[in-house]
Amino acid sequence: MVRFVLSRALKAVLTVWIAITSTFFLLRLLPGDPTTLMVEGDMTPEMQAALLKTYGLDRPLWEQYVSYLRELVQGNLGISFRQIQPVTDIILDRLPWTLLLAGSAFVLTVAVGIPIGVTAAVNRGKWLDRALQGFGISANALFVPSVAILLLVFFGAQLGWFPIGGAIDPDTRGVGAYLSLAHHLVLPVLSLILVQLGPYALTLRTNMIEVLGEDYIRAAQARGLSARRRVWKHGLRNAILPALTLMGLQLGTLVGGAVLTETVFAYPGVGRLIYEAVGQQDYPVIQGAFIMLAVTVVIANALTDMLYAVLNPRIRL
Amino acid sequence: MKKTVKGRWRLAVALGVVATLGVSGCGLNEDNSSSSGSSDTVLRIGTTTDVSNFNPLQSLSKTDSWILNAMYPHLLRIDENAQKAPELAKEYRYEDDGKTAVFELRDDFKWTDGQPVVAEDVKFSAEKIMEYKLGNVAAKLTWVESIEAPDATTVKFKLSQPYAPFAEGVGFWMSIVPKHIFEKAGDLSKFPNDTNWVGAGPFVLDSMTKGQRYVMKRNEHYPLAPEGKAAVSQVEYRVYPDVNTMMLALRNGDIDLMGTPVPVSAAKTFENDSKIKLEKVGALGFAHLTYNMKNKYLADQQVRQALSMSVDTKAIISAVLQGDGQQMAGPISPIFAEYDNTEIQPYPFDPAGAKAKLAAAGYRDANNDGFFDELSFGVACDQSNANITRVVQLFRESAAKAGIKLENECVERNTFLTRTKNGEYDIDASQWGVFDNPMDQLRSTYLSSNPGGINYNLLESAEMDTLINDAAGTTDPEAFRAKIKNLDKVVHEQAYLTPLYVENFQFAYNASKFTGFSPSPSDLLGMVTAYSLAQVTPVK
Repeated sequence: MVRFVLSRALKAVLTVWIAITSTFFLLRLLPGDPTTLMVEGDMTPEMQAALLKTYGLDRPLWEQYVSYLRELVQGNLGISFRQIQPVTDIILDRLPWTLLLAGSAFVLTVAVGIPIGVTAAVNRGKWLDRALQGFGISANALFVPSVAILLLVFFGAQLGWFPIGGAIDPDTRGVGAYLSLAHHLVLPVLSLILVQLGPYALTLRTNMIEVLGEDYIRAAQARGLSARRRVWKHGLRNAILPALTLMGLQLGTLVGGAVLTETVFAYPGVGRLIYEAVGQQDYPVIQGAFIMLAVTVVIANALTDMLYAVLNPRIRL
Repeated sequence: MKKTVKGRWRLAVALGVVATLGVSGCGLNEDNSSSSGSSDTVLRIGTTTDVSNFNPLQSLSKTDSWILNAMYPHLLRIDENAQKAPELAKEYRYEDDGKTAVFELRDDFKWTDGQPVVAEDVKFSAEKIMEYKLGNVAAKLTWVESIEAPDATTVKFKLSQPYAPFAEGVGFWMSIVPKHIFEKAGDLSKFPNDTNWVGAGPFVLDSMTKGQRYVMKRNEHYPLAPEGKAAVSQVEYRVYPDVNTMMLALRNGDIDLMGTPVPVSAAKTFENDSKIKLEKVGALGFAHLTYNMKNKYLADQQVRQALSMSVDTKAIISAVLQGDGQQMAGPISPIFAEYDNTEIQPYPFDPAGAKAKLAAAGYRDANNDGFFDELSFGVACDQSNANITRVVQLFRESAAKAGIKLENECVERNTFLTRTKNGEYDIDASQWGVFDNPMDQLRSTYLSSNPGGINYNLLESAEMDTLINDAAGTTDPEAFRAKIKNLDKVVHEQAYLTPLYVENFQFAYNASKFTGFSPSPSDLLGMVTAYSLAQVTPVK
């Protein structure tokens, strides 16, 4: 067990380091620099050079990289070029919103995806299966911003059921604040669920069909176990194992989707922070946000692996 | 074992939900504003990004300026006709043959902590900008040798040489900050100014919820408001990064005004909404095609003129702006009416004439492919600008009729800006943002020293340098106007650029709730200047 955890931790550290390094160099390989966007009729080359010096971008690349890693090890993500504030503070301000959005979408995708996948598998070949398959494939083809705008227009502007953008009514307090939070969360979460649900439900359906054909399911049937118990207790536990891997992978997509969702829904999370920072070439913020997202996805995958091992009695650590 | 696994599952899910809700809940009440005022006096404005820098001396962001300009006064403002109008300064004049610019200040502006706004505040703001080379104003203070504040309402800028639009440029762009607050901060290049705001504009920031809203309270003493203070008690900026979402928020009543212009293609969606009104303003910049003089064929005046004759600007305005723009002749926008040389006319759209002109100039189509052999150029543009990208397509088609082959080289914004910075293009299709006066524009775009890095012609002309420097040092208004008009004519004749259009901006607001906006040209100013917000009144 200890060896397994250590091995996973080592791989996780290596993955994060690769993410840090590639983000660092890719950003600097982009054409231009942060002063390129500050096109001003009056900005002299001396002023641009002074700005680059302030940002520390006048030093050789390797020197910048070593310095960045050194700071990073000490927990310092740097100072935002534009906001003149520690990147850690800026990200921590936004992180809870993304966790709430992506976390809620993840939990609900799993909660809705399981019954859909199982129902489709149990009704294999019937109209319900075909309908659910059609839904799954269509959902797989959806593009987050299009879904988001459609939801906003219909449920927000036309029906007036949900607010247009934002995360909470800042004037609410106490229970009202939580209700407002949930009210604002519905459409962004729905847009993410609709996009994520397809692959999850379809994978689960395929797994379930396979599992339902296994000997031990037939044995359970022979023992007189009800169909419900066979499917939900015996079948699902095994069918869900491969889907766990997908869950870990989906977290990454979910976080990526959050960038677009948060932008359209004016949701104040890390995704929108990235969107704004990219537009300003604010390297420290982009790097910090990507590192944070990479760490989140790596940890989620590591936990998924461990959960897989715990849930699958055939795997012994 | 089965029960244990089941239990773990449930525990894991429950913990996950509780943790996410709990973590997010931490930020629920961080905005502690007491925004309990009646909703009819709260003006809610949509903005596209968060404030990136609260230091008005340093910030270069357009959306930052919407909020910061409402807090920190400027000496001058730009009115609806693009003219400089008094704000903190009552008037300005030049002395010593233009080598001293003198501003006379009003004596009734007050900081929100009760201190009066005085000449020392202006002197301090300018000196700190020069010391730390802050923002875009530092370059406008290039000519300043010293600053004096002989009394509480007089500021004198001693210049190394006369520069005609000095007072206008500095007066309009420079924010005045409270010396007694900012001097405690030390190095102002590292001063975030993100709390305990003290301002002297009509509104001052009171609280913020990052990513969501910025709440500004009324300054109870603002002399440029009709009643000595704004009629609106609170201004609230709400952040909508996506303009479509912002438009829905306006229709839904979540905001009362869009700070950002409504896209031309979307303006019609408000036509059937009786509550929403669109206010149209001009631009302080314009779209243009600029020719790289380092290209040996584009260095030929005949070729540049032929290219100008190959652009159907009327069709472009009709197709791209749906008719909502103005044609231009020379480089001076018609919005600067007193400087615009009305004697010059746009080049006629005449591809056949252009072709004949080029043939007469000795260009040949030896292989009979319909194009002159040497005349093949790339047109670079920022592909995120949908209007300009469309212009390039139309230009490419019409230039082909004149025998000029053009390649569309529209690329991602950073790549485009890097290419323009390095002179890696034949023809640049882009849009100037904001020029507050024609002299700064001509200096930036045609001086061979390329002071702002935006001489996209890469022009090195001794004649133009002389004309520009001569005009810049002319402080007699009449002579100055004549020299600008002459430069307008020279650039037009040389066809250094082909001006495409001056775009009109449309701002949408809820006219059933608020009225009295005083819009100014450009998307930088629009409806959200300090002066405009101070004039707004709720509809009874």
